[in-house]
Amino acid sequence: MAKKSTLLTLLLGVSLALSGCGGGAETPASPGADPAPQPSGTPSEPKEEAKPEIRMIMQYGLFDPAKEFTSKYITEKTGYPVQYEMLPAENADEKLNLLVANKENFDVMKLNAAQFYNLATSGALEPMDELLEAHGNHINQAIKPESWESATIDGKKYAIPETGSGVSIGEELIIRQDWLDELGLSVPTNADELYNVLKTIKEKKNVIPLTGSKDSIYGDIATTFGVLTDWKEVDGKLVHKAEQPEMKEFLGYMNKLYAEGLLDTEMPINTAQKAIEKFASGKAAAYKLAWWNAGSTIAALNESNPDAKVSVIPYLKGKDGKAVVGANANTTWFIAIPKASKHKEDAVKFLNAKLEPETFKGLAIGEEGVHHEVKDGKYYPILPKFNDDLNNASAFMTGVDEEKYPIYWQARVRKDPVLQNYFETFQKNAEGLVVVDPMSTAPPIDAVSRNTLKLRTLLDDNALKFITGSEPLESYDTFLAQWRAEGGEDMVKAANEWYQSAQ
Amino acid sequence: MQLMKQDLDLKKITAGAGGNAIKSSPGEKLFAAFNYAFFILMGMTTMLPFINLLAKSLSSEQAVVSGRVGLFPIGIQFETYYYVLQDSMFLTSLRTSVLLTVIGTALSLFMTTITAYPLSKTRLRGRKWLLLMFVFTMLFSGGLIPTYLLMQNLNLVNTLPVLFLPAMVNVFNMLIIKNYFEGLPESLEESAKLDGAGNIRILIHIILPLSLPVLATIALFFAVAFWNDYFAAMIYITNPELKPLQLYLKELIVSSGGEFLKNNVDAAINMTPQSIQASSILLATIPILLVYPFLQKYFVKGVLVGSVKG
Repeated sequence: MAKKSTLLTLLLGVSLALSGCGGGAETPASPGADPAPQPSGTPSEPKEEAKPEIRMIMQYGLFDPAKEFTSKYITEKTGYPVQYEMLPAENADEKLNLLVANKENFDVMKLNAAQFYNLATSGALEPMDELLEAHGNHINQAIKPESWESATIDGKKYAIPETGSGVSIGEELIIRQDWLDELGLSVPTNADELYNVLKTIKEKKNVIPLTGSKDSIYGDIATTFGVLTDWKEVDGKLVHKAEQPEMKEFLGYMNKLYAEGLLDTEMPINTAQKAIEKFASGKAAAYKLAWWNAGSTIAALNESNPDAKVSVIPYLKGKDGKAVVGANANTTWFIAIPKASKHKEDAVKFLNAKLEPETFKGLAIGEEGVHHEVKDGKYYPILPKFNDDLNNASAFMTGVDEEKYPIYWQARVRKDPVLQNYFETFQKNAEGLVVVDPMSTAPPIDAVSRNTLKLRTLLDDNALKFITGSEPLESYDTFLAQWRAEGGEDMVKAANEWYQSAQ
Repeated sequence: MQLMKQDLDLKKITAGAGGNAIKSSPGEKLFAAFNYAFFILMGMTTMLPFINLLAKSLSSEQAVVSGRVGLFPIGIQFETYYYVLQDSMFLTSLRTSVLLTVIGTALSLFMTTITAYPLSKTRLRGRKWLLLMFVFTMLFSGGLIPTYLLMQNLNLVNTLPVLFLPAMVNVFNMLIIKNYFEGLPESLEESAKLDGAGNIRILIHIILPLSLPVLATIALFFAVAFWNDYFAAMIYITNPELKPLQLYLKELIVSSGGEFLKNNVDAAINMTPQSIQASSILLATIPILLVYPFLQKYFVKGVLVGSVKG
């Protein structure tokens, strides 16, 4: 009985506090006060009293936030002292649930999509519409309407979506050009040519023709068959890649490579690190490289094989003679205010102040002449100052200016010429070919959020089985039935319901 | 830990061989030689991962990335060690771990011993029930979330004491000490009593000096457990300043691995080079390894004391 009444009081208190915030005048309630309802009769003057400390929980990063240049900069510019805490690198979701269940009074949380959805639907997050209206002018300017969609549940905004560095392409096949020259081969342009090139390399060079890791099954080769990202629009309907008939063709092709020894036999157990090891030591001829690994991979290859030359294989063409590249434009991070926060208004003001254009620019790339310089309209980092001060700056972001940040952000890629070269080559090759996943702009949908991760693991595990032939391709339909039964059917149905209504 | 055990076995065997060395038949010699060879080989096997790490930590990153480093470093450099030793996160964690291990071990040993002593006395009233209650906590606990709630209500979350206070009386270790105490002759206590010594005096001046071997062993158990513990810190600590070394190491490794880097391009760009990971692991392991030699003489003594008493 006692428990019930405290709960009721709490609910009442929160709802009163809420209506107090939104309904009344623009004057903020005095910061630092407890969440008990304020007497709204006398609208208090906006006071110059000390700003309360904001308690923020962020994702894991290998640094001490309190000692970072960025954290000092933020406090200096916004006037808010901030206490930063981090989720652990592993079991972050469990830890977060523990913290929320115990009503730890964080003011700002930086969450990933699954965490955000979980907390928002369990009622742990504060709807932000009214707060944003009152104190969020810079935030509202920085974030595009379609991004807001991703953080809106039942018509209410539960977080500030952070889209990060924008749509960019991560991986592309690379191949040993020196070996191609030696064997008189040219860079393949489609799946059949790739097969022939790999076969010749296998016969003549006795190395692993194509290596890869278990974490990255799809990509360049899959796109030639029309398998892009998770979702694809076919005749006005969303189809998941597991249900695409092209998936079977792709797996069949990979199985052929595997059976003939053209694909690394250890691919199903390789980590990216292991696959890179094989390519960098000259034991493998081709690999789907992520540009962020390019610096160390190419340096290591040049050291162990000084004569090695590497070419990027332009995205392979499909049967219709056209190349495509799949990309996700999902919101990466969600910046939310939990119900348990004691400084909700200040939290929004704090987040808003961080997105003030000049402050934000400093946050992203520091000061011109100190941290970065501008050359032909592009931002270049000044090293080592940029690295010393801003290496971890992205972790402090709480929403970004969606127009400018992708441009600012590229300064990070220009820290290393090899990295920059690969990043820019990949993006240039993908220009005009990118197909963005149609689910990228979807709001959180229950059946999708609940099943995505689980079904992705199921699909990937089975894809590896089909590739290695430990499971014959004929039984793909049996697997598909299992995939549908374990939530795939619900997920596809819910996704399509949203898609039809959004049209 | 395993390594040291084998070392200990070697010691025992050498001691045994030394004792009978006056006359040994060729067969015995062969047997001894085989033993040496076998255990040295076993010892070497457990050393291999360490040697590999050492080689990696001293090699150039290019050599490590291309997987060419085995037992010997390629392209020797020492910058990784320089880098780790001036890294403020590593040093902060090291300080936390040393503090935790020293304070935790001292307090736990004290608490566990003074719990074990009364329980080793048959004249203690209700001893059976008390013991049962202690053993009960070995088998059943409140579970993670209630424990977390308790710590939170005690205002212990995000403090150093939360890492050692809840673990101060370890029932398993307490039972070991209790059994050792029970093995000491009752007459020692009686004679001290006749000379007018009180309970505390008997414990401090008679019982504890005789129990050094078991105390050293348990102290080592505690020290290793505190040094290696990352779980408590993972649960209770979110303040980076209070993270012990093992948690730092775990996060260093996890944050450089596949799953963590997915969808986090910024983390991927800043990935820690493998040679720096290797030197961090080595530097975090060496301090606790250094404790073993100092405590080893007590182990040997413990074995001897046991054998004389029979």
